[in-house]
Amino acid sequence: MGEKLRIWTAVKHGLDVNLTRADRTTGLVRVESAPRKTSDFDKNAVEEAVRVRERLGGVVTAISVGGPAAREALREAIAIGADEAILVTGDRWAEWDTRAVARLLAAATRKLGGFDLFLLGEGSTDHFAGLVGPRLAGELRCAGIAYARRLTAAAEGVVVEKDLEKEVEVVRAAYPVVVSVGQEINTPRIPTFMANLKASKKEVRVLGPPDLDVPAEALAPVVVVERVAVPEIPRKQQTIAGTTPDEIAARLRDALRGEGVLP
Amino acid sequence: MSDERLLCVSEEPEVAVALVRLARSLTGPGTGRVVAVVLPGSAPDAAERLAAAGADEVRPVDGPALTDPHVVADLLAEIVAAVSPSVLLVGSTKRGREAAGHLAGVLDLPATTGVTGLRLDADGIRVDREALSGNAVAVERIVRRPAIVAMMPGFSAPPAAPSPSPGRVRQPPRATAPLTERTELRPKAGGQLEIEKADRIVTIGRGLRKKEDLPIVEALARALGAEVGCTRPLAAEAGWLTDDHWIGLTGHRVHPALYVAVGVSGAVQHLVGMRSSRVVVAINKDPNAPIFAQADYRITGDLYQIVPALTKALGG
Ligand SMILES: Cc1cc2nc3c(=O)[nH]c(=O)nc-3n(C[C@H](O)[C@H](O)[C@H](O)COP(=O)(O)OP(=O)(O)OC[C@H]3O[C@@H](n4cnc5c(N)ncnc54)[C@H](O)[C@@H]3O)c2cc1C
Repeated sequence: MGEKLRIWTAVKHGLDVNLTRADRTTGLVRVESAPRKTSDFDKNAVEEAVRVRERLGGVVTAISVGGPAAREALREAIAIGADEAILVTGDRWAEWDTRAVARLLAAATRKLGGFDLFLLGEGSTDHFAGLVGPRLAGELRCAGIAYARRLTAAAEGVVVEKDLEKEVEVVRAAYPVVVSVGQEINTPRIPTFMANLKASKKEVRVLGPPDLDVPAEALAPVVVVERVAVPEIPRKQQTIAGTTPDEIAARLRDALRGEGVLP
Repeated sequence: MSDERLLCVSEEPEVAVALVRLARSLTGPGTGRVVAVVLPGSAPDAAERLAAAGADEVRPVDGPALTDPHVVADLLAEIVAAVSPSVLLVGSTKRGREAAGHLAGVLDLPATTGVTGLRLDADGIRVDREALSGNAVAVERIVRRPAIVAMMPGFSAPPAAPSPSPGRVRQPPRATAPLTERTELRPKAGGQLEIEKADRIVTIGRGLRKKEDLPIVEALARALGAEVGCTRPLAAEAGWLTDDHWIGLTGHRVHPALYVAVGVSGAVQHLVGMRSSRVVVAINKDPNAPIFAQADYRITGDLYQIVPALTKALGG
């Protein structure tokens, strides 16, 4: 690292999965018009970035790749405590896939002088592919650590507890390193009224692919979403009622016996 | 059926076998080529099992187990160059997704994860994958080959179709320097339960007031011959149960014959984990709880009254 720790954090303004609805007749989700919000795990990443700065000093740069509304995610990042905000956008942002996003993030870090620690969510709430962090590390040929549940940063590098399915792996890496975090790493602070007010006045630096020397062809989607549908699983939706808990219990037991699912 | 080369690799032995079976069914018997990588540290019979599942060629890699994604990606990049597959199939496990992403970044390949269905069409590779936190299924078309496709563990794999004369190519280890260093590997607390294999599950949510009340739910589970599952807050926040009980997007996906949700609201991130259960019972005091829309049998009431009564009715 140089004199000051350079901490980057990426935030996605993704679809709000709790508010997306499927069309009743077709079962298709209209993704274009669905409400958006800041992806949950990215807030954990911003919080962790701010905590590292609070301990070690440095600068936290929040970056979002997306449309004009992604300013909202950057505003939230600033309110949590990021120092500066960058929006990477372009006419065709809506078709940028995880490859395009990772390439733009990589290009931005190269263009703007590099980083020591790059923190982002291990998956976005809407797409949940878990690819952008590892792709970014691969693209930059630098250390990558995904599924971080605990992070200890020092002047020269990080120690991360990585949450695997059945194990916890403790991993050490020197800077620069890309770390993808899960929800369990911290509880993001709720910004104060003043922090929110200040954040809404903060200037956002807007960059397009040409500013980052990324040609349009390099961003053409290689994975295209053709349709998003909510699968309809038929359920009986039978109400079991009765005058006493025992009566209800006996009725349910009989129903389950009828289904053949009791031992 | 298609004359394509498919490369399969997973650190999970069962997933690796399922990937080979899938690959074989996609190429068809006798056409195309299915190559399976045997990662260092695999069981002695791993290569045999992959050949029996349908691999035309197995590539055992010598050396110590690989953990650093940079080293894994570097090895896989070399194998991709040697085999030139149209698809690299991996498991959508945490390590699998991480390696897939890293490799995709290194080689600038298309990649997708959490895949439950895969088709090799003339105009691209089509996948079905979970979307919107598991709320929906997306169909994606990958327009360029080769591509990396991470299959969701437990996807329904076609039967094995052994190749008549499977070949074996030794893959020498690479001398790539790792960029991360493992200092410790410890099993998670709990971790013994394989809830994804359970036939009956009683899942408890935040409707439970305190940890000391868990025996109420455990007694019902015993009476049903069921395992106990839980929602995220109980495992990740309260720590009342270990992670191996956690069901949902960030927990386990289960598909039991019977799923009893007790004091569970039914958030989308939970529903994705239990959606493929055959019969669903929901017990909740809130008649508007979203879980009821996903239930076959709905009981509106206080779990503290209903659950003990049900345990008793079942002879527990
Ligand atoms: C990115 C992301 C990933 C997530 N991953 C997961 C995941 O993998 N798994 C998961 O479960 N969640 C996950 N969540 C959290 C999820 O959104 C919900 O917050 C969580 O599932 C709620 O758990 P719950 O139903 O136990 O609690 P609550 O939502 O608080 O529901 C408690 C329910 O209990 C009922 N209740 C209360 N008292 C009683 C009583 N005495 N008798 C009967 N009923 C009663 C209430 O009516 C209510 O419906 C995730 C969230 C995010 C953002």
